[in-house]
Amino acid sequence: MATSINVNGKMLDVDADPATPLLWVLRDYLGMTGTKFGCGIAQCGACTVHIDGAPTRSCQFPLAASAGRKIVTIEGLSPDSSHPLQKLWMEMNVPQCGYCQSGMLMAAAALLKQIPQPTDADIDQYVSNICRCGTYPRVRAAIHKAAETHALRSRT
Amino acid sequence: MNQVTGIDRRQFVLSTLAAGGVLVVGLHEHALGAELQAIPWDRDNPPGSSEFTPWLSIAPDDTVIVRVTTPDIGNGVVTQAAAFVMEELGTSWDKIRPEYASTNRDYRDGHVYSQVAGITGYFSGRSTGPDRMKTYMQVAASARERLKAAAAAQWGVKTAEIDAQNSVLTHKPSGRTLRFGEVVAKAAKVKLEVEPTPKDRSQWTFLTKTNPAKVQIPEIVNGAAVYGMDVRLPNMVYAALRQSPVHGGKLKSYDADAIKNMPGVLAVVAVRPQENKPSDLKPPFPFGVSTAQHGVAVIADHYWQARTALDALPIQWDDGPGGQWKTTQQMNDAAIQALEKAGEKIEKSVGDVDAGFRSAHKMVEANYLTPYCEQAPMEPLNGTAMVTKDRVDLWHPSQHSQMAYMVAADESGIAPEHIYFHQTYVGGGFGRRIFSDDARMVVAVAKQFPGRPVHVIWSREEATRQGRYRALMAGKFKAALGTDGLPTALLARASGGPGFSVSGLADTACTGVIPNVQIESQVVPFHVLTGPYRGPGYNSNAFFVETFIDECAITAGIDPLEYRLKLYEKWPDIGWVKCLREVREKSRWGQPLPKGQGRGVAIANWGMRGKADAGTTVATVVKVEVSKEGKLKILQIDVAFDTGRVLNQDAVRAELEGGTLFGLNMSLNEGLTIKDGRIVEGNFDVYPIIRMADAPRTIGVHFGGLSDNPRYNEIGEPPAGSVGPALGNAIFQATGKRIRSTPFRHHDLRWT
Repeated sequence: MATSINVNGKMLDVDADPATPLLWVLRDYLGMTGTKFGCGIAQCGACTVHIDGAPTRSCQFPLAASAGRKIVTIEGLSPDSSHPLQKLWMEMNVPQCGYCQSGMLMAAAALLKQIPQPTDADIDQYVSNICRCGTYPRVRAAIHKAAETHALRSRT
Repeated sequence: MNQVTGIDRRQFVLSTLAAGGVLVVGLHEHALGAELQAIPWDRDNPPGSSEFTPWLSIAPDDTVIVRVTTPDIGNGVVTQAAAFVMEELGTSWDKIRPEYASTNRDYRDGHVYSQVAGITGYFSGRSTGPDRMKTYMQVAASARERLKAAAAAQWGVKTAEIDAQNSVLTHKPSGRTLRFGEVVAKAAKVKLEVEPTPKDRSQWTFLTKTNPAKVQIPEIVNGAAVYGMDVRLPNMVYAALRQSPVHGGKLKSYDADAIKNMPGVLAVVAVRPQENKPSDLKPPFPFGVSTAQHGVAVIADHYWQARTALDALPIQWDDGPGGQWKTTQQMNDAAIQALEKAGEKIEKSVGDVDAGFRSAHKMVEANYLTPYCEQAPMEPLNGTAMVTKDRVDLWHPSQHSQMAYMVAADESGIAPEHIYFHQTYVGGGFGRRIFSDDARMVVAVAKQFPGRPVHVIWSREEATRQGRYRALMAGKFKAALGTDGLPTALLARASGGPGFSVSGLADTACTGVIPNVQIESQVVPFHVLTGPYRGPGYNSNAFFVETFIDECAITAGIDPLEYRLKLYEKWPDIGWVKCLREVREKSRWGQPLPKGQGRGVAIANWGMRGKADAGTTVATVVKVEVSKEGKLKILQIDVAFDTGRVLNQDAVRAELEGGTLFGLNMSLNEGLTIKDGRIVEGNFDVYPIIRMADAPRTIGVHFGGLSDNPRYNEIGEPPAGSVGPALGNAIFQATGKRIRSTPFRHHDLRWT
């Protein structure tokens, strides 16, 4: 039986077991491979998507619970890589291997939406994704820079 | 909704304060747009493009195709190849399109690519090695001169009157211009009488002047980049894999009938290692390192179906001899026990150690131990293969694509001419994807389901337990100190499971400056499989050597940093002293600290192989605070390094940050547990990796240690060695507790 879900503003039908984690629905049934498999137990955050705006680890979120909610993936963060964080990620050479960075960007974007001027402690708390390459100092710097730029824009 | 759970912090919580270091980010070169495409394989040459050499083609629209052998694992090796071409060709950055060089062509075409760098021809690192650098710059300079010659012939003017800039050829006296693309067909046929000499570095305008960000980042930030895990092909099926939980064990039986009716299940296949058979292939590493393990795979329409069915599949294993190792302690004890008798192999012997000991002013002696560690790249092991009766296609996130290509030929029994290897993006390497045991398992499964692409995926638990780990290793160190406090004799014995190495012990500077040295080693027959792990051998040995040197300094009553300066000023490589001085200044070494705080230093070199002016030296100072309850905080990390020279400052900075954090995690957190021959840990809940909250907010990377020796040495592995002992030495200063084994999180750091 098909389940209808809203991904990046589009309604999509998925014919999968309702217990299937959203991660695998996105990747294998819908072909949206930007959301990554890293651990499968909601530890690493590589599979982070926004569900009704909240950063969520999709590897532990079943298809059945996804119906009726708005899901945004890395492919939908912006139509043309124009999200301020995406631009800063390119400018500041943030990623190394890049595998965790979809999730890192989704976590950081959700943080800035909730707390436009995050402190270091906020970043520590909300961006708990694992990056084995060690991009943390650059992720932190890019989030701060995005917040700064936003503050400047708000003032002018 | 954020379902994060905390890492296991056991005896202390690691947290950090803002450090004094400055994070300088790359210049704003993002506008420079060289692009590696999302799908980095199988792109046709643009129509009408002309190949100047196998390394370089130019299209009529001026696109410059640069072929790269080195898979980019996040270290920027593809960008570096493009940068070499950029320097000499006279093009613009946004015209350069790197792509991976075919391993199949390499095989058929006289090793046209791999001959440049021997066994590292298709390895994912060492992009700034002299052979690669020379090759790309020569190829680009030659193409530039051929383009000029073609334009000169067309205009009937002298080549010397033509300038090449931004892919435009200009006849300087008349101002006439032609685009590269307009003359490529003729230029590619030009034979130069004399090959041009690439520019002297004093004339460079791009290298060292510009620090381009990695060219693939635009594909990463929107999720377009296709990693091995993201390969999607028509008619593709998925396989979930399980191998003998005891390495080297055998598959006894399994009950496929129990799961054959589960949703999506297509087949259950067994993998049994094939017998070694003679082969004419010359792989970069012996095929033995890629041996298959006994295993079972469930093949299904979708991965989740395959995995669910695999979890329900009854499997019986025969553990084999590995099952005798009941506990980690039993293995640690065996390794330490092996240190008590003379090593079976003498790795280095200089002078007379016994005579040195007899005339000692003071003696220092200590044993050290480092456990098995898993590389844990964020992308779990996987690969996709389609095997037919006369052809294999393999899409794979390899760290050594030539090795994976040869393994595919070996495992399938199909001639190498008919093997097509497609290098994908790689979600982290750290050594795990070099030996290509993963590629072998993928082909071993896919060949039993021929005619359709089979995407084989290891779960995180499977990847962690079926590792090729950093070897368990123990070391016994004994030194005589002279009246000046410096060592006059050193005996070091190393022991460990098969695969451990004395790299960074027998070939490092301290064994070159001590007059009497004996280094011995002893292999203990453990069954656990090992392989490269960021800085193989070195990452353990740097901890042993630099903790021991610290103990010598304390015994001698000399400041540990000054002690190293005295010791290493005897070594004829100014980089060692320069790095120590740089990190002394930048860390404010010597400035008084409150009780419970401490600074530690360590210095190590990756890749020197006993020689001065070789390898990469890294000196690290860590400043910590340890509460009386044993809670550790890292306050600051400063790093100085000597690669000789640097080409892309920001790329080097990124690797020093990443390598330092990798080594920090290795020392603080990592260690696998063995129970009844099996690896216990499976996932990040029990194999913790530091996160944002645990990592220092900045890492001070300082450039004042550079010696300007004419080499551009690698930087990915070196920082992983020095940070751990620097941290341990800092903890000693803060608490008086000397830590002689990793991971540090298992140690009680309370003090009174």
